[in-house]
Amino acid sequence: MDGFLIALWILRLAFLAAVFLFLYGVLRALVRDLRRAEREQRSELGRLVVVAADGDAPAPGAVFPLDVITTIGRAASSTVVLDDQFASNEHARLTFRGRSWHLEDLGSTNGTFVQGERLDGPVALVFGDEFTVGRTRLRLERGRR
Amino acid sequence: MTAAAGAQLHEALASVPRPRLRRTESGLLALVSVAVLLGFATLRSQQALADGHEALTLGDPAVPLVYLGFTWAVHLLFVLAARRSDQVLLPAVALLGGMGLLLATRLPSGLVVQSFGPLELGLGELQLLWLCLGLAVMGWLAVAVRSDNWLRLYKYSWAGAGIVLLLAVFVFGREVNGARLTLCIGPVCGQPSELLKVLLVVFLAGYLSENRALLATQRTRLGPLSLPPLPYLLPMLAMWAIALAIVIVQRDLGAALLFYSVFLALLFVATARWSYVALGVLLFVAGSVVLYTLFPHVRTRIDVWLDPFASPLGAGYQTVRALMAFGRGGILGTGLGAGLPAAGGTTAIPAVHTDFAFTALAEETGYLGALAIVGTYLVLVERGLRIAARSGDDFRALLATGLTLTLGIQTAIIIAGNARLIPLTGITAPYISYGGSSILASAVALGLLMAFSEREASR
Repeated sequence: MDGFLIALWILRLAFLAAVFLFLYGVLRALVRDLRRAEREQRSELGRLVVVAADGDAPAPGAVFPLDVITTIGRAASSTVVLDDQFASNEHARLTFRGRSWHLEDLGSTNGTFVQGERLDGPVALVFGDEFTVGRTRLRLERGRR
Repeated sequence: MTAAAGAQLHEALASVPRPRLRRTESGLLALVSVAVLLGFATLRSQQALADGHEALTLGDPAVPLVYLGFTWAVHLLFVLAARRSDQVLLPAVALLGGMGLLLATRLPSGLVVQSFGPLELGLGELQLLWLCLGLAVMGWLAVAVRSDNWLRLYKYSWAGAGIVLLLAVFVFGREVNGARLTLCIGPVCGQPSELLKVLLVVFLAGYLSENRALLATQRTRLGPLSLPPLPYLLPMLAMWAIALAIVIVQRDLGAALLFYSVFLALLFVATARWSYVALGVLLFVAGSVVLYTLFPHVRTRIDVWLDPFASPLGAGYQTVRALMAFGRGGILGTGLGAGLPAAGGTTAIPAVHTDFAFTALAEETGYLGALAIVGTYLVLVERGLRIAARSGDDFRALLATGLTLTLGIQTAIIIAGNARLIPLTGITAPYISYGGSSILASAVALGLLMAFSEREASR
């Protein structure tokens, strides 16, 4: 067997070796990523993001982490306090039951709207849903880690 | 005056984000570059040997260098745009594309010829062109897409566009190899069903994320099965009908199987209800039985799968040749350029550059090479599903899942078909097979995934 064929054979093996070296590198990156994800466990059940607001506070873009029972309204005792003249003191309530969020109107004057419809009972929300309290538009999002 | 201009310039510079190094990505891309260059060196030296020269050579280095240059340019674009997006997707795609490019350069270039005016391009050049276009599309989407509202809000429009595309193929399509898939506008021909995949996933993600709660909680009982409320079953039946129409009118078994399985998988992901899957599988079995009895081309496929050696020179020719190619490859392969996919200017396996690309690579790089290819596809799927799991809202999560599964299931169908694990259906192996539409559609999917993988900083 002459030298050229041996060189060619080595070249072939080097190609395969490079491909597997790449896969090894990827695997290491994936493991690193998984470890990091494990460290940064989700600490929030969900969060509310203000999409559009009428009053001064909160400003659009503001974020509220959610408790298992979150009340929304003008009263200072609410979890999410809205400075919105069209919101009632105790306007609406978000509750986390089992695996999903439920929104419920607390007999407010101007109502709570999901997709343009006024609520008359508790309704299940999914992450990404938007609803309106008074003149404030809020969006439910998954919690950050 | 100069002070004002200076202040303006300063302000403009301040609004440009500071570049952010992507070390993982650059490291992996370096390995990919080495692998691709080694591959080309093997291929060219082997070809030189066949011509009687004993020299280690890279031949004409333009093809791999242009390809790798484009890959690094996309990487540089991400660095300059200071993206925090996923760093594994681009190198993985680059490796798969490089494998495809090796194959396309190695097959006789007369397999596909397209002329743009006086310029005539063969298989290798065309594949290079499509891959570079694909990289550009992927890079652009990954940097430019900041919001998914334009996808979410117009989901019915996207679905409508997809259906119109499908109907256009039904009416104006050109028949190639007994399948009516190709639509030509001027000199450029494409297969719209590739794009349709992405459009349907967008629609399904939008529809399911909106009606998820309803689909998951309410039910109608029908004997032992508990079904979703009937009106919400309609899209499911519509999907089934679309899949059947694709098989009957286009004779495209692969696309139909792909659409249907992605749909079922997404439905399950959105609702976590096994009864939907059971119902879907029942419908699938019923549809398959009907198709098998009614259509001879379906029957041929199944019969060839069950026993290709019954007619090794007739219907089973392609499959028999593919199986022998796998066998010739062995563990280390015959070496790039030394296999038989194109001995003496003809291809040993018909349609080797599209349907049997995986087989050809498995022959020349062996079991180990095939394993690496499957592994790289698995990496793509893992990254996609991680992006889905991390995303902030249901639409994004479902969209990322759908795009990933489309890629993964398509790969599984064609690789299993090549290896005779399931009946062969003619679809492409993403990024490896020749085909402009396939590469561009996969690039759109990957670009969106990269955009969604952006960590929260920019929000």
